[in-house]
Amino acid sequence: MAKAKDALLDPLFNNNPIALQILGICSALAVTNKLSTALTMTIAVTLVTAFSSAGISAIRNHIPNSIRIIVQMTIIATLVIIIDQMLKAYAYEMSKALSVYVGLIITNCIVMGRAEAYAMKNPVGLSFLDGIGNGLGYGLVLMTVGFVRELFGSGKLFGVTILNTVNDGGWYVTNGLMLLAPSAFFLIGFIIWGLRTWKPELQE
Amino acid sequence: MSNDSTFKTFLVAFLLCVVCSILVCLAALVRIDREAYNQRLEIRKTVLAAAGYQDKIAAGADIDKLFLENMELKIVDLATGEYTSAVDAATYDQKEAVENPELSVKIPADLDLAAIGSRAKYAAVYLDKSGAVVLPIRGAGMWGPIYGYISVEPDGTTIKGLTFYQHAETPGLGAEIDNPNWKKQWPGKILFNKSGKLVLKVVKKGKYNPSAADAANTVDGLAGATVTGNKVHKIISYWFGEHGFGPFLTKFKAERGG
Repeated sequence: MAKAKDALLDPLFNNNPIALQILGICSALAVTNKLSTALTMTIAVTLVTAFSSAGISAIRNHIPNSIRIIVQMTIIATLVIIIDQMLKAYAYEMSKALSVYVGLIITNCIVMGRAEAYAMKNPVGLSFLDGIGNGLGYGLVLMTVGFVRELFGSGKLFGVTILNTVNDGGWYVTNGLMLLAPSAFFLIGFIIWGLRTWKPELQE
Repeated sequence: MSNDSTFKTFLVAFLLCVVCSILVCLAALVRIDREAYNQRLEIRKTVLAAAGYQDKIAAGADIDKLFLENMELKIVDLATGEYTSAVDAATYDQKEAVENPELSVKIPADLDLAAIGSRAKYAAVYLDKSGAVVLPIRGAGMWGPIYGYISVEPDGTTIKGLTFYQHAETPGLGAEIDNPNWKKQWPGKILFNKSGKLVLKVVKKGKYNPSAADAANTVDGLAGATVTGNKVHKIISYWFGEHGFGPFLTKFKAERGG
């Protein structure tokens, strides 16, 4: 039980894929200017990591070492394509907002990293939880960054007006930097700083 | 059997490929089925929004029903301004036609204000029950192409509304062309003056004076997005010029506005 809990919860703070392993930064910059896109991306990455880890773990004793990476990649790519196609079919506007970044989950190091580091050595159930945990750890950072960027960049949260902006006839002058990708760099930097101050044992 | 034997390697690779391809095929089938519907719905929604139905859309009206009840698709030959049946209206795709040398024309460099290089010979326009017409416009923006629709009243010169459905302008600055507060100053603006000259302009933010003589044909730009405002101005200048919808609007006015 303790092992399952660790697999699920460790990646949230103690071993966060973005803040500690510094993986998956590219998409964290690209999809966090709104909470709705950040949430969709979180769900997509969590599903892909969980099911690819479970799938790879299920056949781990039959994967020839020489084509190990290709097998992992094929499973991951299949799952990503399925999710991408489903978004295009049932959440058309969201898929347009996320554009290429759903397809790029294939190259997100978190997915591949968990497959190689965890799923190849652990049973299916634990691998699945590890995948969920890492997806949520990724999502936690994404949602935090998305929260700050949407609130201060557009004065909204999930598209609902919180701070009435000047462009809409209100008082809040939006922070333009928050709408551009580089702001996520600063925010992630602050998150890493905060996390390592809170948990000094994470410092390298 | 050893995992690393040649036979097992091929076997695992083969089985994996079969399973994965079946899954991908199934997903693609579902997507193909829905994509045409999604794209059609998006165009219908944009056309309706450009024609002033945005309040009904926001209130959750059935897009397809609203569209079919009010809009009639027509194909216009841009060179003559006449309706044409040269292409099948139901299947005509104006975006694809631009890529097809037989269905498109090069725009002379001195007329190419919207910086698009070439345009389709035929335009898909929508006649609204109210008498207005919804026209497709496109052109270069600051970072990428801008696509939209603009509707014109039966008098052929008063703007009824406009909407953009694709652009890559800077979020918070140029992307505010999607802001309803900015779009709402467009309805009622005049495209042409009494002698038929195109006079509509988008000015730098703050240069708009509501009591000036040219207020009726001036649109206030966006703060921090002068370039985007200029691009929109150029797109309008091209599409409502003689090489764009000019000939069509002359005929449209004679026919509908009387």
